[in-house]
Amino acid sequence: MSRAAVRLLIRYLLLAGGVILLNFLIPRLLPGDPLHVGAAEGLDSGLPLPATAQAQLRAYYHLDAPLAGQLGAYLGDLARGDLGWSLAANAPVGQLLLDRLPWTLGLLLTALLIAAATGTALGLLAGWAPAGPRDRVLVALTAALAALPEFLIAIGLLLVFAITLRWFPLLGGRTLFVEDRTDLLGRGRSALDIAWHLTLPAAALVLAGTAGFVLIARDVTVGIRQAPWLIVARAKGLSERQIAVRHALPNLALPLLTYFGLRLGAVLGGALVVERVFHVPGLGLLGYEAIRARDYPVLQALFLLSSLGVLLANCGVELLYLRLARRQPALHE
Amino acid sequence: MSEALRLAREGAVWVLAAALVAAAIGAPLLAPYDPGLLAGPPFAPPSPTYLLGTNDVGQDLLSQLLYGVRTSLLVAGSVALLSTLLSWAVGLAAGVSRPAEAVLMPLVELLLALPSLPLYMLTVTLVGPSLPHLVLMLALLSWPAFARVVRSVVITERAAPYVEAARALGATRRHLAWQHLLPATLDVLPTKLILTVRFAIFAEATLAFLGLGDPATISCGTMLSRAFDDPLLFNRPVWPWLVLPPAAAIMALVLTAAWMSRALEARLAPSRRVPGRPRPVDA
Repeated sequence: MSRAAVRLLIRYLLLAGGVILLNFLIPRLLPGDPLHVGAAEGLDSGLPLPATAQAQLRAYYHLDAPLAGQLGAYLGDLARGDLGWSLAANAPVGQLLLDRLPWTLGLLLTALLIAAATGTALGLLAGWAPAGPRDRVLVALTAALAALPEFLIAIGLLLVFAITLRWFPLLGGRTLFVEDRTDLLGRGRSALDIAWHLTLPAAALVLAGTAGFVLIARDVTVGIRQAPWLIVARAKGLSERQIAVRHALPNLALPLLTYFGLRLGAVLGGALVVERVFHVPGLGLLGYEAIRARDYPVLQALFLLSSLGVLLANCGVELLYLRLARRQPALHE
Repeated sequence: MSEALRLAREGAVWVLAAALVAAAIGAPLLAPYDPGLLAGPPFAPPSPTYLLGTNDVGQDLLSQLLYGVRTSLLVAGSVALLSTLLSWAVGLAAGVSRPAEAVLMPLVELLLALPSLPLYMLTVTLVGPSLPHLVLMLALLSWPAFARVVRSVVITERAAPYVEAARALGATRRHLAWQHLLPATLDVLPTKLILTVRFAIFAEATLAFLGLGDPATISCGTMLSRAFDDPLLFNRPVWPWLVLPPAAAIMALVLTAAWMSRALEARLAPSRRVPGRPRPVDA
């Protein structure tokens, strides 16, 4: 492993430590008492607890220990994979999150990959003839789409394709009350059913996420359009399409890879919101339910898990970047 | 693009912005009803009495919409001011002093590496959703990106010949910081301000839609959230009046802010748009 890779890993380990510490500190630094829910809104606690019960609860949650002792207990729980107990669902938080994770992850990765691919293609098209009509329309359109909140795009798609045209279902992740069959045909059918339900949520994320990829691919393309090796390719008599795909496209890989990593967190946020519009039973809907129920352990675990996930993915992206960048030392500029 | 067309488009954006600000400021005068009071029957369709109809408990939707725009702009303005001030102070401090840099920059890097929405969901739920809390949280978590920009301006400027000359003439660090480095950072602040306005409208609407809006204040996001809380929303004939006006208002707000930031960027620093360099996409 190269020295750069080691430095990178150390940086990400420190960041992960920072996230774990932040997750510990946030509820303790912000005003409010866990035994006095509603105090922040000036409400009385719904259930006045006797002093002995309060002391018991404080001891149970280690809240009577000094901060260092609390940190020790927290790290110990974390090491055992114990993320706490959901007050609303009366179930371990880790299990709740694990059940919902596949929906969000599937939605997120599908949308991000499609957005990256279409964004790159459109950006290459736009940048090939900068300031032309195609470029102007694409840039204006993508800039407008990038400005809109994801949930608005989702509501727009819902209104057009689910309510007016009725091509797609209104809500949910799958058709309810359909028996799960385990044979090949049944599995295929339920996979199709899920894909049909997730088309609109994914489309909303793709529309919101494509814009950034278009702008970056466009700007890089504009920068290298007159590069010497492209002039040589032209002199060889290659068609414009061959030049664009074979000789210009590979140069977009590195900046787009960086951007892919940067976007992960934002697209995750988009996925969480879009899930609420379409009632996809993923982490976003879980978070929404937790907000309504004031289920702090769930929100805390959601923050911890998504932050660590984004850090891990970014670390992977940067390691990949190091590998690719080493292979082509002379970058365009 | 021809100059006339560009001016016409910029003019249209300014008119739209002025209309939104006028609606926000004049909401108490323009609104036909108190947005919090029950003005009529629930789910009334639009009529001369209720121009946009009423919601599930009979509150007038037009009045709510006007107050919603007011809330959005209020949040956006306060967040933009606070966040700009914070990022400016942090960037300046980190650019001028080594110890400050050692403390602040890791924090900046940590906050930038995190997905922001789960962090907002946690912190706003913990402090309790109210307008001041929302403003404070949005401001406290949105300064890092620009603090980096300010710091890099300071570092670039520190090596500039005129600063070196001042240092050679015996200027103290404090004099350099106040007289030379601070003024150099001023021309990036308007961009940050308008980008944060856009970000805050976007974030307030999103958080309100997730149930994190102030329950006592009406915003376009809480209007939409309330409409979507109703499981029978799309079975009601009046649903377009519950969904479309607040959605259109949010759209007008964020697009106006986005277009204004582009116009501002083009006017302030036409040379800064280097082809090949990625544009800033986020606040």
